[in-house]
Amino acid sequence: MPVISLEAITKVYKLGDNQVDALRGVSLDIDAGEFVSIVGPSGSGKSTMMHILGCLDRPTDGHYLLNGKDVSALSRDALAEIRNRQIGFVFQGFNLLPRTTALENVEVPLLYSRPILPAAERRARAMAALEMVGLGNRADHHPNQLSGGQQQRVAIARALVNQPSLILADEPTGNLDTKTSIDVMRTLQELREKQGITIVLITHEADIAAYGTRIIAVRDGLILSDKANAPRPALEDEVAPVPMAAVN
Amino acid sequence: MRSFRQFLLLAFQALLRNRTQAALAMLGMTAGVGALVTSLALGRGAQDALDEQLRAAGANLIVVTAGNYAVKTDTSVDPEANIGHSLGALEPRWEHPAGAPRAMRAAFSGRLNSQVRDAGFSDAVLRVDESGLEDGFVSVHFEDDPMAVHDHPTAAQRLGDSSAGLGSAATLTRADAKAIAAIDGVRFVVSGVHENERIFVQETPLHRQWFTRMHGTEADLPQIRNGWTMVYGHFLTKADVDQGTQVAVLGRVVADHMFGKGVNPVGQTILLWHQPFKVIGVVGSRSWADQPAPGDDQFDAFYVPVSTIDNLLNLSKLNNIAVTTTSVGDTTKVAKAITDLLRQRHKITQAMPDDFTVTSVAQQVLGKGLSPALARMVTGNMASVDNMTVASLSASLKRTNRTMLALLGGVAIVSLLVGGIGVMNLLLLSVTQRTREVGLRMALGARQGDIAVQFVLEAVLLSVIGGLLGIALGVAASGSLQKFFQWSAVVSPLSAAMAVAVAALIGTVFSVYPAQRAARLDPIEALRHE
Repeated sequence: MPVISLEAITKVYKLGDNQVDALRGVSLDIDAGEFVSIVGPSGSGKSTMMHILGCLDRPTDGHYLLNGKDVSALSRDALAEIRNRQIGFVFQGFNLLPRTTALENVEVPLLYSRPILPAAERRARAMAALEMVGLGNRADHHPNQLSGGQQQRVAIARALVNQPSLILADEPTGNLDTKTSIDVMRTLQELREKQGITIVLITHEADIAAYGTRIIAVRDGLILSDKANAPRPALEDEVAPVPMAAVN
Repeated sequence: MRSFRQFLLLAFQALLRNRTQAALAMLGMTAGVGALVTSLALGRGAQDALDEQLRAAGANLIVVTAGNYAVKTDTSVDPEANIGHSLGALEPRWEHPAGAPRAMRAAFSGRLNSQVRDAGFSDAVLRVDESGLEDGFVSVHFEDDPMAVHDHPTAAQRLGDSSAGLGSAATLTRADAKAIAAIDGVRFVVSGVHENERIFVQETPLHRQWFTRMHGTEADLPQIRNGWTMVYGHFLTKADVDQGTQVAVLGRVVADHMFGKGVNPVGQTILLWHQPFKVIGVVGSRSWADQPAPGDDQFDAFYVPVSTIDNLLNLSKLNNIAVTTTSVGDTTKVAKAITDLLRQRHKITQAMPDDFTVTSVAQQVLGKGLSPALARMVTGNMASVDNMTVASLSASLKRTNRTMLALLGGVAIVSLLVGGIGVMNLLLLSVTQRTREVGLRMALGARQGDIAVQFVLEAVLLSVIGGLLGIALGVAASGSLQKFFQWSAVVSPLSAAMAVAVAALIGTVFSVYPAQRAARLDPIEALRHE
């Protein structure tokens, strides 16, 4: 059973008198353990796709099965629950809470899980997630005390903390330089390889998309191409390997 | 709710982010709660003032006096034959306060009941025992007399005469007082023996004497005499009364005369019946309306433990028993209960009249500074100062305060509304500032309710802090009103708690709109918000 199954998804925005067809019938299956890069220029509909995949928005028409369950017509609160449990988000702008430690930032999704875990358990899980991205020693740092790459890895830890089946990364390297971009991509790759987590990456950069196992090109609300890819290793010669915490 | 602390912390951080606006919004709440607390305090104060006035006026005081003035019986009735009945006719002259005790003394000195009336007028026989003078102290033990029966099964068998003038009849005992204390609704019970005695100070250079009023009493008397203040020392203690120690508390007039004006006589010794009594305190009046003056009953007087008199004179009879009730409204009920109890204790059958008199002292209100309208209402219901009367009194007093309370209440409501609008304004600002954060939280799984609760909590936190400051303001305002304008204001913990609850409620109500606005944000739009 695929993790994600899109069936003839359309999305229409009404902007005043204009109708914008952001998606015009997208069908797509993504299996567990895939690292899918969705590429396309701005206005191609890839952001809309990411919103629908992330259960932040509902399609105008069509069906979206997440782990076999149709989520295309759920209520806002039901979608919130699904986002909380099954999807981990990584944003371009990191979106960490200021004046809040890395550990507390990672803990935030657990605050909205029902039933709520005891504080000690939340803390332990957040710590484990931070260690998974190699930032166990930065737990009590505030975002402004961390580098861009470290901040994004905190965000990845936050996406991981509730053990989702899917990580959605929306331009995760958009605000990073090349070197740190590679660090982040390497972290994502390792998550897929070692944890078997499904990753969907949205980007407009072809060289970032190349880190995935499958590349889907989107244009004008339709899938232009969909092909398997031999993932580019995140090991540039000029980049010193990032120490990763021992996983497993 | 285990994440409640996190949410509270978040709310606190959010408030700190907009310190100035938060402080201004809080100020509105503080003013509102302050005004509310003050108006509640004034309302409560007015109520308490009324009760206090009635209490001070003695409306809750019941005096049980030995003997029954109202009873008129035939003088020719033989006391011994008329068991249990009131004895003797009541001559007007017997009501003279000094007359009655003398009569009692005379009774034993003559050792014959039949001689009582005749002997009573002779000062010569006063304190003369058959045994004569012994070392200057006349022991006065009429109850030692085997001829005297002092077990009082009925009034008629007692020494004395149940109709021998108010207070002079020997029908009340300290055991009666103890029994009265057990009645429901009774607050204080004070036994009283009242006589006129001569006291001396022997130490040179004073060497003075004074013929004045002696009150044998108990430790609770100051609780009944609201207008009293201790000028020096302290009043009789319970231990003094229990052990019958030879101590005395002087009235201001007596102290001034015996030891000189402005001299603290505590620790000095006075002689009564040639026995030394240590002075332990001086009572004066707290009220300008009731200044100590020679000849008055309270301050041209001295107080000794009733038990000491009993020990020295073996005199267990009381002239009266003063009783106060817990509530003014209970006076009638308690007076009735006392009558029933004493009739039972004195084995008075239905056909016989009381050998005591129960009076409630509501009459005194006229002279004690109540407004004429209130005094009329009290005296109009003198016989039964009951709950109805108290309720109607309260109503009349409340009317006079209504305008003021309405004004303050109005200020409170308007301030609270302004405070609420301030809170709403602050929250709207906060929602705008934190739109991106709201979007992120939604993406991470916050339900609409979680977001709304976050903002409501922020408002409640602000309101409660403002409310607590408001209580402080209200207490200060009430205190100053009391101090500078002599308005009676009482801040009760309940009203303070209520005021904070009202503030929290208003904060909640006014946070609903901003909280809803935050909860209804579109997560995608919110995430894009800069």
